[in-house]
Amino acid sequence: MPDISARDVIQLFLHPESAASIDAERWQQIILVLRYQQLLARYAKRIRKAGVFEQVHKYAQHHLINAEIIADKQYQQVHYEASLLQQQIGGIGSHLIFLKGAGYSLSGLSVGVGRTYSDIDILVDKTAISDIEKTMSLNGWLPEEMDEYDQKYYRQWAHEIPPMKHATRGTLIDIHHNIIPVVSTRAPDINLLFEHTVITKDGYQILDKPAMTLHSLIHLFYNEEFKYGYRDLLDLHLLMSDNTEEYWQQLLDLAESTGFERELFYACRYTNRLTSTAIPEHVVNLLNQKNSGPILPIVDFIFTQLLIPSHPTVRSPSYSLAAFMGFLRGHHLKMPLPVLIYHSVNKAWRLIIEYFLGNTFFDKEKTH
Amino acid sequence: MALQNYCLNLYPFSFRVNTDLKLIEQNLLKMYPGLIDSEPTPVTDYTLSLNNGSGLRRYFKPQARFFCDQKEPFKPLRQEQGYALLEWGMNWTIASNEMQYVIAHSAVLAKDDKAILFPAPPGSGKSTLTAYLAFKGWRLLSDEMALINPNSNVVTPFVRPICLKNHSIDLAKSWFSQGRFSTVAHNTHKGNVVHLSPPEASWQQKEVDARIVAIVFPSYRAGRELEIYQLNKTQGFMQFAENAFNFGVNGVSGFNTLTKVIESAESFEIFYSNLEEVMEFLEQDIIDNA
Repeated sequence: MPDISARDVIQLFLHPESAASIDAERWQQIILVLRYQQLLARYAKRIRKAGVFEQVHKYAQHHLINAEIIADKQYQQVHYEASLLQQQIGGIGSHLIFLKGAGYSLSGLSVGVGRTYSDIDILVDKTAISDIEKTMSLNGWLPEEMDEYDQKYYRQWAHEIPPMKHATRGTLIDIHHNIIPVVSTRAPDINLLFEHTVITKDGYQILDKPAMTLHSLIHLFYNEEFKYGYRDLLDLHLLMSDNTEEYWQQLLDLAESTGFERELFYACRYTNRLTSTAIPEHVVNLLNQKNSGPILPIVDFIFTQLLIPSHPTVRSPSYSLAAFMGFLRGHHLKMPLPVLIYHSVNKAWRLIIEYFLGNTFFDKEKTH
Repeated sequence: MALQNYCLNLYPFSFRVNTDLKLIEQNLLKMYPGLIDSEPTPVTDYTLSLNNGSGLRRYFKPQARFFCDQKEPFKPLRQEQGYALLEWGMNWTIASNEMQYVIAHSAVLAKDDKAILFPAPPGSGKSTLTAYLAFKGWRLLSDEMALINPNSNVVTPFVRPICLKNHSIDLAKSWFSQGRFSTVAHNTHKGNVVHLSPPEASWQQKEVDARIVAIVFPSYRAGRELEIYQLNKTQGFMQFAENAFNFGVNGVSGFNTLTKVIESAESFEIFYSNLEEVMEFLEQDIIDNA
């Protein structure tokens, strides 16, 4: 196979017109990476916008068009689901805000173009949760099956309730009352975000662009899992490109009031380093003053590996170490030490059992 | 067995299959005669693997695990069921990625360029009928999925082995003793399963499109004489739409395609036990008039 690097995949996004000169063998490799990273449709739309789609090798066109069709369908579907949710639970509690992928799609911003996701995330007023749960189950949404330990984890420590799935359409929905786990002690006053919402032209409530950016960067840097790190970095690249001075001021203020300035610093640092995102100089200077420290080289080591295109064929030898360090860091951020130990021991025990007895041991429906 | 790499140059999609299981290698070579390339890597559409599970499990209850690149859509099966798992994995891969055809869960057989679709749920005897026709001079385009070209009544072949279940395995083996049968996968969720490679004539025309002249919904009923019911356009459309699995994803183009197919083809529901009678009906009443 030809030698494709993670860097080549990034360059293709930043210079979509170069798509026309890639041969079939290189495309085969690039498509594997993009499909694994759930980015085929986003690249397809990007290449189309650059006006070179027709010149792209037929082999690649075939796979890019497949992904576009699926993304277009999802775009349509999310509008449909959002209108139903609006009717069914829009009147309960103070807010019904569409977050992450669904929010991007509904926003009409470039970050939503070709973006795909596996579930719809909503943010609601915590006091309304049990009414929302009841109303949703009357409308055909059922809680996903899970064992007692996971139930307890959600109810006691998380910032969301166990996901619900529509019985006939199969749509998955995550209902949040905060944007990060309450157990972390860093969950912000959610009213700060409630103040940063807008209504789309179709009538759906989403976060405004600075708050959407803040949520996106918290989601990425306040996390332990980076399978889609590159996709999430591109979300930030698209959200943070081409903005007004007012946007930056609001983003800085919001990061300060919610206590996520360090995460904003990382977002600016790594989008700039990895995807050449233009960050205003005064923003960079301000964040640099507040956030440089002795651990920065370690954080650089972790994120410069976890936020670039990832696939077994393009990973560097130190990827697993970076992934492991990112995992520890993320868990440590989210949980006080005693909870972390309890949670890790529980999960480690399962991994050991699965290693010896097969990875379906804990599934309720067992194989032969 | 050391890890082997095979390219399956099927039409219209190609696969690369990595496997370390002898059973997979043997069956692949038997099922896809002349279509397997173990030369280093032409470009293929999908990268699949069918391998042993990891961990200690492989020593006391060996498994077979299917991956489409890094993704594992199914739970592992017993190793003996590995080949069936690979065939189902190939179906899954196409059904979940390919959106440029309207794909129906249906067998497709043709005389020259006149194709009949046989959409049917499991247990209706579809595969037995498929095998019978394919070995009695019909051309097999597919046993599982009809690839319909958008906004047309043209169907593109996707020639693959026929998936036979339970009793039909012995029947087929008695009818076509010269056929190329795979090893048996015992007690899968569909019961015992064997794959049967179609005759040479079907392989030779694997790139030749056909136009859909009829849709026949078959239901096998032991001991029953042939009954034929002609469906009106609405009935035909509704029954057919239930079997079209990416109809929803394709939206307007999916709807228009199914409409076009239904408008230009006759639809029938048949109950039968005797395959010879069915073939007679298909040839005399449908093909000769189309």
